[in-house]
Amino acid sequence: MPVFVEDPAHFSKSRLKSDLVAHNVSLPPAASKKEVYVELHLKHIDQKNAADFSSDEEDQVQDALSPEDAEIPDPSGLTDDDLKAALLKRGVKAGPIVASTRALYEKKLSKLLQSDGHDQLNGAEKGVLYSDSEEEEEEENGDEADAESACTGAEEDKRETVEQSDQAQQESSQNDDFDYPQCFLPSSRLHVRASRHREPRPKWNSGNALKSSEQNWSRCTQIPAGISRASSVDQRSGLGSGLDTPVVNKCTMMNQSLYYTPKASPRERGMKLPQEPVKDTFKDLLPDAETTPTGIYATRRRPIKGAAGRPIQYAYPDTPASPTTLERREVERRLVPIHIQILVFLIVACLLYLIYVCVEDSSFVALLDSLSQGSESEEGLLVQTEAQDTLALSEQE
Amino acid sequence: MSSTSQKHKEFVAEPMGEKPVMALAGIGEVLGKRLAEKGFDKAYVVLGQFLVLKKDEELFRDWLKDTCGANAKQQGDCYGCLKEWCDAFL
Repeated sequence: MPVFVEDPAHFSKSRLKSDLVAHNVSLPPAASKKEVYVELHLKHIDQKNAADFSSDEEDQVQDALSPEDAEIPDPSGLTDDDLKAALLKRGVKAGPIVASTRALYEKKLSKLLQSDGHDQLNGAEKGVLYSDSEEEEEEENGDEADAESACTGAEEDKRETVEQSDQAQQESSQNDDFDYPQCFLPSSRLHVRASRHREPRPKWNSGNALKSSEQNWSRCTQIPAGISRASSVDQRSGLGSGLDTPVVNKCTMMNQSLYYTPKASPRERGMKLPQEPVKDTFKDLLPDAETTPTGIYATRRRPIKGAAGRPIQYAYPDTPASPTTLERREVERRLVPIHIQILVFLIVACLLYLIYVCVEDSSFVALLDSLSQGSESEEGLLVQTEAQDTLALSEQE
Repeated sequence: MSSTSQKHKEFVAEPMGEKPVMALAGIGEVLGKRLAEKGFDKAYVVLGQFLVLKKDEELFRDWLKDTCGANAKQQGDCYGCLKEWCDAFL
């Protein structure tokens, strides 16, 4: 097994921090210098490592390792296989851990360890993400009870959560979990699950459970009362906007589930208050809305005008015409329209044809004569007299 | 579709063969030099690292950052380039 002799002074500050967190050492204030971190690192961690390495006896090694084993391995101190196993435990399927990849995987593990550490402290937020699941196993029941205790209220479950919450309290230095409403308690379940590995079950039946259950009861009653007060205040202050109502709905949903457990007076008060005002305000907003079983209200969207055969409610003006078309239109208005022109043409053509036909039929010559007489009357007369003279002459001879 | 650079298209169009590491998208002269100093002088060596990391994006990007100081865009380009090459030829 390779022995890593590393000088903490060469580590980066963040590395020192993560190592300290991993070894459960309380961090100095954030603005401390690196030397402080190095000192702490040397004091706590190196001591442990020295203890590990000093003897090869299994017991000692196990004792030294067991508190760290489940959750707080030092990435750089692990073998390749151990590193791989630790990553796998956290759901990371690591590839081959070779010289070039080792550093990356160590970094990844330390990141995961840090986030685990953060989970312990900020468990409240994460708790919301986990929904109640129903598992039959007794052990699981205890864990799930963290979430369900709020809803189901079995006393045994209560004791378990109390038990676990106590453990959480002991382990994490901060008690922020318990200032949150009951619903967020299950967050500690994450960490608590792991801790279960260490502490045996018989602890349930210790006298502690009863005492702390009482404490929790009072806490339970306080918290729901607080919520009910808060929600009722919200509602009284006038929920005009639609935004508030969903939030209130959520609160009341939670409150309703909460109120199953503590059989204290605030429950009745709480149950009545959230239900009525919520419904009233919502109904005020949308008096027409039908009540739906799921409590989800949806209004029909206004249809798109003119699309898919819907009636056009706003008609757009005709397409605008360019100036040339406008001019052309005006000019055309003044000129004789084409149809009339064609008609006139046809009429004239017909007339000419008729004339031609008539002329051909009757005395063409007479027509001509009459025409010429009209035009050349004197010459015509002279010609006639000459013609008569010649005739007379011819007759005399 | 996000745009890919000319370099990317050229790299992905054919087997990389003996192309230098600077042929990778996102890896220019400076980064290429740094990689070469660390021993990654050919594109296929970087491909090797990419494959050893099981084509994991996060790990590969971290590795690039640690090894040659690539910024986020360069990391992304290189990762995309190698991934597409693998999809096509591996």
